[in-house]
Amino acid sequence: METMTECAQPIGFHFLFLRLSIKVNVELCTETRPSVTTANRNAVLAFQSSKKSRHFTYFADFSENVSLFSRRCGYVGKSARRTLQLWQGTMKEIGGKFGSSVLTYFLFLKWLLIFNIFSFLVNFGFITIPQLVYEPSPNIPLNVHFRGLEIITGAGYFNNTVMYYGGYSNETLVGLVDYNMQLAYFFTITVYMVLCGIALIFSMAKSFKKNYVLADSATSSAWQLLCSWDFSVTNERAVRKRKSNLRIQLKESLSEKAQQELLTLPEQLKHFGVHVGSWLLSTSLAVGCGASIYFLCEYEQKHTADTGSWSLLQEAETLLVPFVVSLINLVVPFFYSFFNEFEHYTNQRNQIYALVIRNVFLKMVILGVLCYYWMNVVAEVFSCWESMVGQALYRLVIVDFLFLMLGCFFGEFLRSVIGTRLISRLGVPEFDVGRNVLEIIYAQTLGWIGIYFSPLLPAIQILKFFILFYLKKVSLIQNCQPPRRSGRAAQMKTIFIFLLWFPFFVGALSMVAYTAWRLPPSEQCGPFRGLNTTFGVIEVWMDDLVDIPGSHWVIWIYQKVIRSEVFYFLITMIILVVIYIFWQVTQGRKRLIGLLRQQIVNEGKDKSFLLEKLQNLQKSRKPTSKPNKQKGHSKERPGEPPTGSHSNAMVQALLARQQLQDEMDQSVPSDTSNSGALMQAMLARQRALSQNGDVYHRPEERVSSFQTAQTTRNQENQESDGHYRMVSPTNAVTLAMQARQRAEGTREDDTDYLPSSVSSVMRQVMQARQRAEEELNSPSQNTAPSGSSALIQAMWARQQAQNEYDDGY
Amino acid sequence: MGTTASQLGKELLSEYQELTFLTKQEILLAHKRFSELLTKDEKDLPNTKVSMERILTLPELKSNPFRKRICHVFSTSEQKDGSLTFENFLDLLSAFSDSATLEIKSHYAFRIFDFDDDGTLDRGDLEKLVNCLTGETDDTRLTPEEMRQLIDNILEESDIDRDGTVNLSEFQHVISRSPDFVSSFKIVL
Repeated sequence: METMTECAQPIGFHFLFLRLSIKVNVELCTETRPSVTTANRNAVLAFQSSKKSRHFTYFADFSENVSLFSRRCGYVGKSARRTLQLWQGTMKEIGGKFGSSVLTYFLFLKWLLIFNIFSFLVNFGFITIPQLVYEPSPNIPLNVHFRGLEIITGAGYFNNTVMYYGGYSNETLVGLVDYNMQLAYFFTITVYMVLCGIALIFSMAKSFKKNYVLADSATSSAWQLLCSWDFSVTNERAVRKRKSNLRIQLKESLSEKAQQELLTLPEQLKHFGVHVGSWLLSTSLAVGCGASIYFLCEYEQKHTADTGSWSLLQEAETLLVPFVVSLINLVVPFFYSFFNEFEHYTNQRNQIYALVIRNVFLKMVILGVLCYYWMNVVAEVFSCWESMVGQALYRLVIVDFLFLMLGCFFGEFLRSVIGTRLISRLGVPEFDVGRNVLEIIYAQTLGWIGIYFSPLLPAIQILKFFILFYLKKVSLIQNCQPPRRSGRAAQMKTIFIFLLWFPFFVGALSMVAYTAWRLPPSEQCGPFRGLNTTFGVIEVWMDDLVDIPGSHWVIWIYQKVIRSEVFYFLITMIILVVIYIFWQVTQGRKRLIGLLRQQIVNEGKDKSFLLEKLQNLQKSRKPTSKPNKQKGHSKERPGEPPTGSHSNAMVQALLARQQLQDEMDQSVPSDTSNSGALMQAMLARQRALSQNGDVYHRPEERVSSFQTAQTTRNQENQESDGHYRMVSPTNAVTLAMQARQRAEGTREDDTDYLPSSVSSVMRQVMQARQRAEEELNSPSQNTAPSGSSALIQAMWARQQAQNEYDDGY
Repeated sequence: MGTTASQLGKELLSEYQELTFLTKQEILLAHKRFSELLTKDEKDLPNTKVSMERILTLPELKSNPFRKRICHVFSTSEQKDGSLTFENFLDLLSAFSDSATLEIKSHYAFRIFDFDDDGTLDRGDLEKLVNCLTGETDDTRLTPEEMRQLIDNILEESDIDRDGTVNLSEFQHVISRSPDFVSSFKIVL
């Protein structure tokens, strides 16, 4: 340890110090590490070595060890997570070539894949394995054989396996322990859905907090473009491409800014008309698609026999609906993009949002119609309807996957061939992040809806996403170019998570919840046969629990919490109240931010105004003042320490503010006199300065000359008082000026002893404020508001001076 | 216990872990990559500086438009030649790592963008920044008129106290409102 302290002290560590101090503050503030305050590596190391030799009490030693251990564990966990990260190299490659907005898609895909792996493990572990242990071979009718088409249709052979709801038993499996299949099925699905919801809400909230709340609504601002440079892009060609894209975007943003004001009323009306037209068109298209799917479903239902064994043709016919649905999903978005070309949006973000909203609406209509059909028609007609729905979902998932592959081939591969070989005007296609993400969101929704009807659907999803990842990666690298417009990747990601949560997850959840709560389960198959509703399993369980001692609390919770309206009412009320409070807090903070912003702007204005004034004054004084004094004065200026100049600038700003205030308060004629007073005060300051310069040369006379300076100033003060008795606020200015002079005088006297001079500046300012306030308050009632505002200003000034002072030292 | 010895000491490794945002694997990888830049004799010397030219042969930095600035900012060499020691290199990776905070990232971004090292981004810095991002050659550059307008826009947007330059706090304010920054200010070995 000691050798290291001695030999490893290169200069390079001063950044590490910085990091340490920041990192310690950010990450480890909860821990009781004694090195938190030390920002110096030497000190840390010295402390560590001394700590070893020193005798510690048992407890301190123990807590030290625990914290060290927990930190080490944290490191190990972080490292392990890093190693386990799937496709890290691929991600880096994609990020390096296409930038972070395309990477968003792949990260999203990976995230969903992890979701599905989790869901598969839960379902397989708690539902399927017990079922397989209890009944290893599926109960398949003799006339059903595996024909191969099942892989696509999911019907026939699969119908009686553990793939679907119908394959599960409703009994209590008796083995080493009793395993109630009904309860297991119910709770696994419930817990999975709840966990999914929580995970989604948390990631959404995190993403919102990080990416959206702070983000500015300003459109395509230049800084946003400049800051969006992707440091992770390493490919030479990609860098060149990015540079030229950025240049185009910068030029566009410039021309947009210039163009914005030029829109005339007829043009605006025309744009509005186009918007309304395309919205109407796209909405009616979506509704039309929904209706056609519904009629197709009804048509199909009439031709489907409710038996276990279908002929090959019958089985193939079931693929019609999924085929049409996937075709609509593939084709209609292209129409939407086509409409989008004709619309004129003031900024690109609105364009993307409009496109996303239309696509989401389309997918919602399709899924809504399908769910309605399943719950109202299929549930009535078929004997084992849950398995039928499961099959339908299986087919949708598989056919959707086939169409995604086709989309890759036709949409990207052929398009790129056409773009490069035949019509070079089109160029290589861009990777459309929005459309692709919506496709996988749709796929995931199918998986969620299907979780109740087909518990092993996540396995298919895992396979699907896994293959899709590689397919998209190859297609992207071979066929696509990075999107021309960069930026907003983080916000888009937030929106995608939100979309996944709001219409899609919530929709799937309500569909499953409605099924469990309201619909009677089929009577011949599945774990819930014989019950009125799926939820009835809980009632049966409760009845059983009454006999078991020590389970009263479960029954109590069931009766008093789950089944009582009062509980839900209270919860809702509390949540509403909390939301209201938070909303109020947000509003308040918004106002505060506005005020603070205004203050900064005002201060900037003050500073520049006063500096200008001072410069003018100095310019005009230059010829008349004596050269040697001027020289002495200008010599002192650059030598001023930073804190001094800070407080100096601050005092000036305060003065300027005071003056502006006064000018605003006074009527027009007194304005001139006011500026006269200011001029005089300035002159006095100049004189005081030169006197102070003298003082500097003759320290022994310092006190007396200071006094003379003060008396002259007092005289001036009285003079101006006499002249401008009518307009008392001018006095405030003069006084403030004097305070400033005195402050400056003190500072120049005590250049060696800064802290006290700064504090004396503060004191002076306070006094000046006090006096100004008195002056303003005394004359009449009318000036009261300005007086109070002066008071507020004084308070504020004090606060600021304090801050400056703290910063400086 | 030289810092660039062929194998990092365990103590030193844990120390680096404490002082940077990097994980153990990342530090080891960084060490491996850094050692590859050294010649045989240099490997035995502690705290060897690697010249900027050699650092910039790393593919992660090679095509970055700010590569020279990055080296200068992270270099603690007294000759101001942008050469990096291993610890400087770790600093660099730490600032560009995933887990570095927004404050640190924006601080370094500011220093990288501050071409004349005077503590503020003035018009000259902004012009150089824009030129870096759009390409240096004459045909890719913005016209002077466009440049002037762009810089006016930038200053109007971010220069809150209207002093004609963008200082660190104003810059951080801008950065905090562009959420893409954290994810894009990233270099992974």
